Amino acid sequence: MSTAKFKGKWIPWLFLLPTLVILLVFLYYPVIQTFRLSFYRVAFLGLRTKFAGLDNYINLAQDSGYHHTVWVTIVIAAAVVVVGLAASLAIAMLANQKIRGASVYRILLIWPFALSPPVAGIVFLFMFSPGFGVVNYLTELVIGTELNWLGNPRLAITLIIMASVWKNLGYNIVFYLAALQNVNTEVLEAASIDGANNWQRFRKVTFALLSPMTFFLLITNITYSFFDIFGMVDILTKGGPLDATNVMIYNLYRDAFEYYKTGLASAQSVILFLLVVILTMIQFRTSGRQVHYGG
Amino acid sequence: MNATRKYLFVVLLIALFALVVAACAQPAAAPAGGEKVVEVTKVVEVTKIVEVKKEVEASSEEVIPEGSVVIDFWHAFGGGRKLLIERMVADYNYTHPGTYVRVENKGSYRDTLNAAILAAQQGNPPHIVQIFEIGSQLALDSGIFAPFEDSAGDFQPDDLIEGVANYYKFDGKFYSMPWNSSNPILYYNKDIFKAAGLDPEKPPETFEEMLDVCETITSSGAAKNCISWPLHGWFFEQWMANMGAELANNENGRAARATEVYLTGDAAKEIVTWWKEMYDKGYYAYSGKLEDWDGADAIFVSGQAAMEITSTSDVVNRQNDAAANGFELGTGYLPYPASSERMGVIVGGASMWLADGNPPEEMQAAADFITWFTNTENAIRWHKATGYFPIRKSSVAVLEGENWFEQNPAYRAAFDQLLNTKPVRATQGAVIGAFPEVRTIIEQAVEKVLAGQASVDDALAEAKAQADKAIEEYNKSVE
Amino acid sequence: MSLSISRNTRKQLLTHIALIFVVLVVLAPVLFALAKSTQTRAEVYHFPPMLGPGSAGLLNYKIVWHQFDLGLYMKNTLIVAGIVMFFKTIFSMTAGLGLVYFDFPFKEFIFYFILFTLMMPTEIMIVALFNLVSDLGWGDSYAALSVPFLASATGVFLFRQHFSSIPADLADAARVDGAGPMRFLWSILVPMSWNTIAALALIQFIYMWNQYIWPLVIIRENDRQLIQVGLRALTNQQDTTNWGYVMAAAILAMIPPMLIFILLHEQFTKGFALGKEK
Repeated sequence: MSTAKFKGKWIPWLFLLPTLVILLVFLYYPVIQTFRLSFYRVAFLGLRTKFAGLDNYINLAQDSGYHHTVWVTIVIAAAVVVVGLAASLAIAMLANQKIRGASVYRILLIWPFALSPPVAGIVFLFMFSPGFGVVNYLTELVIGTELNWLGNPRLAITLIIMASVWKNLGYNIVFYLAALQNVNTEVLEAASIDGANNWQRFRKVTFALLSPMTFFLLITNITYSFFDIFGMVDILTKGGPLDATNVMIYNLYRDAFEYYKTGLASAQSVILFLLVVILTMIQFRTSGRQVHYGG
Repeated sequence: MNATRKYLFVVLLIALFALVVAACAQPAAAPAGGEKVVEVTKVVEVTKIVEVKKEVEASSEEVIPEGSVVIDFWHAFGGGRKLLIERMVADYNYTHPGTYVRVENKGSYRDTLNAAILAAQQGNPPHIVQIFEIGSQLALDSGIFAPFEDSAGDFQPDDLIEGVANYYKFDGKFYSMPWNSSNPILYYNKDIFKAAGLDPEKPPETFEEMLDVCETITSSGAAKNCISWPLHGWFFEQWMANMGAELANNENGRAARATEVYLTGDAAKEIVTWWKEMYDKGYYAYSGKLEDWDGADAIFVSGQAAMEITSTSDVVNRQNDAAANGFELGTGYLPYPASSERMGVIVGGASMWLADGNPPEEMQAAADFITWFTNTENAIRWHKATGYFPIRKSSVAVLEGENWFEQNPAYRAAFDQLLNTKPVRATQGAVIGAFPEVRTIIEQAVEKVLAGQASVDDALAEAKAQADKAIEEYNKSVE
Repeated sequence: MSLSISRNTRKQLLTHIALIFVVLVVLAPVLFALAKSTQTRAEVYHFPPMLGPGSAGLLNYKIVWHQFDLGLYMKNTLIVAGIVMFFKTIFSMTAGLGLVYFDFPFKEFIFYFILFTLMMPTEIMIVALFNLVSDLGWGDSYAALSVPFLASATGVFLFRQHFSSIPADLADAARVDGAGPMRFLWSILVPMSWNTIAALALIQFIYMWNQYIWPLVIIRENDRQLIQVGLRALTNQQDTTNWGYVMAAAILAMIPPMLIFILLHEQFTKGFALGKEK
């Protein structure tokens, strides 16, 4: 950095102090504690603790229920990413057309940015509930049968995915729209002169130019499916039916705060943490430009 | 950023902070209490009045009179019941200067128990916690609570009706004060019965009759489904009791700590097999979610099912729903398999626990409040407004003096079912430390059977293994 | 020529139709919630479902606001979000200033120290954070809800990136004028950073408004509870749920973040350097 510097030995530390203190106390310290706790067994309502070595990890490694939880998390994350990004890109391209009222359309498409997972969960729960929901009424009319959205494991996963995709639309579209506006129209025109058809033009030019953004959204959407999805699962399915939607963060919460297995929950935290580290590493490796979002 | 935008942004920020400041500085209005509630005997209106009337009282801030002993009271109720409780508490605060009860609802029963335990871990449990019946042993073992009987003055335990006293007395002692008590009954839509050509005054009584009636209802097209109830372990427990089968060993955990559950017995198998048959034939419908009372209510109230099995505590809610949705409501007993004698039902619901470790004057004030809250008069008020049992004999006497049960037959069915229950270990209810977990295990077993992922025998055998392990772990942790 | 115009018009028309369709699909759940929020319990339970506005008018809104404490929850959330927005903006800005306009030992280490926290979302350390905040005796306070969120790598890097893109001669000029770093920050950097401030304010507001798992575990008393958990409480109780109330509450809970988003989304795009410049 060639920017001119101010002089001062203590002043920069003073400027950084609040941030550093908070990060140290409320992020680093708890993370270290989480590692420590994961080696303990906590008994009866969290009132007693005992060193347990690697027991918690061994239990998780042997627990088929936990394997299922990891698998569900991956399936949901993959679906949310693929469906969500494809839908968002398609909508963003549509909204990027030069057309009257484009800015109004854009607002009407990106507002889900401000939705919270619990709100999305509550609205979907209501729409898809068997008693008074409107969706089952419509399926009855159209395909002549009712679907047990909350009771059938596959449908319940589908429901969580749909609600997540809907909730994420705004966020993804905002970023795709911004990226699309950076796509140089001359390149596209050159491509069409070269005789490329629409699909080739999209695949070879637009999609290629958008790939850094796609990659960034990929990471943020995966993170979303790992953590923010908690609110949706908690309200929509409570992890059911038959643990079909019991994602890792929900399992962790239940073990920690409903069954008081704090040590076991901490071990799950460590596993999640390692997953996040791997994802972030991949992100830094492959994308030159850093875009951050989150806390 | 152009000038207009910048201006807008600044205005927005200022507005936001102004809002925050205004919100903080908002003068607190008087608490909701004070005025007397009119006791209405016309059943259908009770909760409605409670709900709509308070709309004008724009206050979420409360003023705690200086120098009063503050008592925190946590419960699990929402909706009209929450408002009723707040009203009763306001009455208490108004008539008992020097004590201020601060009442809060904490979500479901499970949420409330968790909240209390977490608060105790943080060293600050509330004075009074409502804990559901199956959490009793856990509450006892936790050491968080003091035996109610030791702090209470004259709470007249002999006045409690037998079923209720039987459930909550452990080793002859009341560790908590029984409060909301209910059991499951059958609600049915008489209009659908008529449309299906059935006698609207004769609801099915046995499992077998239920299958026949359902066949008639669904084949006549009078309703899409026949019956709904939540997929909740409570119903399984009640059916076990109704058949006279104990759920756990050591006399249902009442003689000594239970170490295993009887999930592979004939009674358990018969219940789940019937449940499965009802489901496979399209008679039984539920929302798909565990412990989802709302889902079952919705299916019944919207007329998609002719019957619902749910708690007696919903008598008022269902009567309001029937009136609002224009159908005639009937009630009947919880069905049972014809092969067994009807033994009756367990008292479900919750009791009030008194947290230990607070200063004596606070414990005293809290115990006094509990005693008041469950006295004869308040038991009547609570019963009328909800449908929960009047838990005191003296309350029942007053109600009978008013001809209350004659005028309100729906309450009668609920109450008779309790009075006709035979006092055996099975109907006294199981006591298991790990009961909350065991209940979940049972629910998941039923879920698996309904989804066709396991046979009845396999699912129950697996559930028994899991439940016994959970019980063993629990017992080990408290020894 | 006329042919190409009409083809163009047709294409425009098709685009309009497609966009309107997508807009409606995306809006449908909210429209449904809006309709239900004005219905009485009986209308909600009516079968077949009623999709138009009901006869309850604003009654459900009034009831949830006053009787089910939604007003209180929204106030709490506004306060917490306000505290976090205010302090985090200041802390991030000063940290950015320190990183860009000063040289000091261990600067690289500090940079990575901050960077690594990107990998530490609250959720993964929720148990330990719960223990820590409980041990601090902060249960049921605004501090428990806000202090852990007063600093973040996102904020620091946003300002660091923005400050680095400001021409160097400005700082030089300031130094020649004898202005200290604070003056420089206040009179030169802040006026040039409105987009970044707005972008950070927006994400912080929405982030705090949507807080769910943390208040769920740390807050015991309703006096301090936040809006999303308040919504949960409406559906999760030992009594029949009135879905008219729930939908009214959901709509109310959507309004503040929606307003802020609609007002600030352009600044957000610019502040995140998503605009033309590389």
